[in-house]
Amino acid sequence: MAQGSGESAKIAPSRGVVYGETARRLMLRPETTALVAVVVLFIVFTILSPQLFPTKLTYISLMSVAAELGIVSIGVTLLMIGGHFDLSVGAALGLSSYFTVVLMRDYATPPIIAAPAAIVVGAGLGALNGALVVRFRIHSFVVTLGTMLIWRGVLIALTGGFPMTVTIPSDFKNIMSGPLLDGFRMSVFWFFLIGALATFLLVRTRFGNWIQARGQNEQAARNLGVPVDRVTIILFMLTSALAAVAGVIQVARFSSVDALRGEGIELQAVAVTVIGGTLLSGGYGSVIGTILGAITFGMIQVGLVLAGAPGHFFRTLTGVIVVGAVILNTAVARRMARSKPLGGFRRSSEAADAAIAAASQEARDGRGDERSRTVRPGLPEEPAQ
Amino acid sequence: MTDAPRPDGDREVRLPSGAGELSTRPRKTEPISPNAVPVIEAVNISKAFGATTALVDVSLKAYAGRIVALLGDNGAGKSTLIKIFSGVFPPDRGELRFRGEPVVFANPAQARQRGIATVFQDLAVCELLSVTRNIVLGREPQKGVGPLKWLDVKRADEMARSALHRLGVRWERGLDERGVNISGGERQSLAIARAMFFGSSLLVLDEPTSALAVRQAGRVLDHIVQARDQGQAVILITHNFRHALSVADDLTVLAQGRVAAYFRRDQIELDELTDLVARVA
Repeated sequence: MAQGSGESAKIAPSRGVVYGETARRLMLRPETTALVAVVVLFIVFTILSPQLFPTKLTYISLMSVAAELGIVSIGVTLLMIGGHFDLSVGAALGLSSYFTVVLMRDYATPPIIAAPAAIVVGAGLGALNGALVVRFRIHSFVVTLGTMLIWRGVLIALTGGFPMTVTIPSDFKNIMSGPLLDGFRMSVFWFFLIGALATFLLVRTRFGNWIQARGQNEQAARNLGVPVDRVTIILFMLTSALAAVAGVIQVARFSSVDALRGEGIELQAVAVTVIGGTLLSGGYGSVIGTILGAITFGMIQVGLVLAGAPGHFFRTLTGVIVVGAVILNTAVARRMARSKPLGGFRRSSEAADAAIAAASQEARDGRGDERSRTVRPGLPEEPAQ
Repeated sequence: MTDAPRPDGDREVRLPSGAGELSTRPRKTEPISPNAVPVIEAVNISKAFGATTALVDVSLKAYAGRIVALLGDNGAGKSTLIKIFSGVFPPDRGELRFRGEPVVFANPAQARQRGIATVFQDLAVCELLSVTRNIVLGREPQKGVGPLKWLDVKRADEMARSALHRLGVRWERGLDERGVNISGGERQSLAIARAMFFGSSLLVLDEPTSALAVRQAGRVLDHIVQARDQGQAVILITHNFRHALSVADDLTVLAQGRVAAYFRRDQIELDELTDLVARVA
């Protein structure tokens, strides 16, 4: 945007063109779809239940939903940018919750030890996922589908299918998810903190560069000495560890664990990530988009209840939004990326490139050599001499 | 220099039976100094994959400041040979020598540590990373406090700029331009610049010009010559005889896993080469 205004000073296009171009570029950001979803849903739910929806109590409960789902989704986002899936996060969340409860209840472990221990267990589960993917070169979708079933099975066996309760010290409960932030839960604080750290990791560290490189061109990264396998394993550990963090927060909130804890969250996390503008094919994405995606989810869940809609609407509406978001993020963005910039602005932008790359991926899969032509629509074959 | 074929194999033609003799027309040339030690040398290397024989007794030398073109049809063994050089797998028999010392590369990382940089045709660039990030990938400069480290973005830009400058690449667009917007030729040049900047001694280029338009190919060849003139040993794999003859100092033709012919540049012309490769393939 800054550049747009700089150029506009030079060539002085009309105000309409500047606004148009600003809108076009905004549309190309990965986060825009999620932002639009948040705004539109806010307006719709406010119209549906004007007395109940725009109140602080609503915001508190929707953010509490968003925080727990969001923490899991941030891990899934980083992993997806790195080119992998993790379907086992829900089961990992459940299993690490179980460890927290057992450590605190049966071994009288203080939470300050039990919580980190559960996160370590989570990381260990992730390491196993990563090792299987790296060692046997199996698609992570299949590996984590398997481990999801295994861990869920183990959890059901360990709990015997019954809920287990535990007494949680109030300090621990407060730190993890107490309503200390002017009524908002502490989990929201952890959510934003983890989101900020993950964004920094992704865009401002060597490891972040490696994640993106892994998702875009594994062979190139490998050839240049990026320890691709190590990156993959660490990503899986991070993803499962974040699922464990969400698990610990839920244990603190509910003072219990049951055999189905975390079930279904793996697909919600994928949906949140996709709404947030991360490419399903990897290589490109945004943690900020994922944060907005999680808020979208929280809003649907709480908003529908307040509007008195039947429970199954939640799934339906979520599905509609996921599909709509993907269409906006890929098809429309691609068309806009190809479209000529208004008023002679430079075409290039990060998100435009992402959209084009997704198209080029398709072209490569489908038509081999035409790639270079497909990739660079509207650009001269070479820079001017 | 108008010498006869040297006994040490300076010029050596082994054709399958019935392929006929080749004429030689030696011209003024720069011979390899007798004292020069090749940066990398393959000595009688053989490699088979199961029942498929990929290489039989192949020898090849690459000297600093010289470009050796590796020619041959598909399946002639070019890729297998460069994968052995870059440590992807070891040879079954024969020896690899690095600056005269026998070496065994257990993996690509070990080859890289010796300064062997392989640029694969389509694998040079991450499409959504900026030019800078592509150049420093794997060797990102960092700053930080204690164990906390993050990217030194400014330094990375400086590194990218000087890497391109050193190879004489005229980069008129921003360093924040992403991989998708970089043409095929620019990708190759970028990869060569990157390899040289990080201290390679041997550049192995796999079909760097195959997908390029004429003008782009010319520019990439210029950069390859530039790399040679700065003392790199270069192995150039190509299908394009014109490209090979326009830059190479030495040419090796592989056919069916064997060295079918070896020439210095001045010992062969385009039509002969085309003819030869057609006959041995």
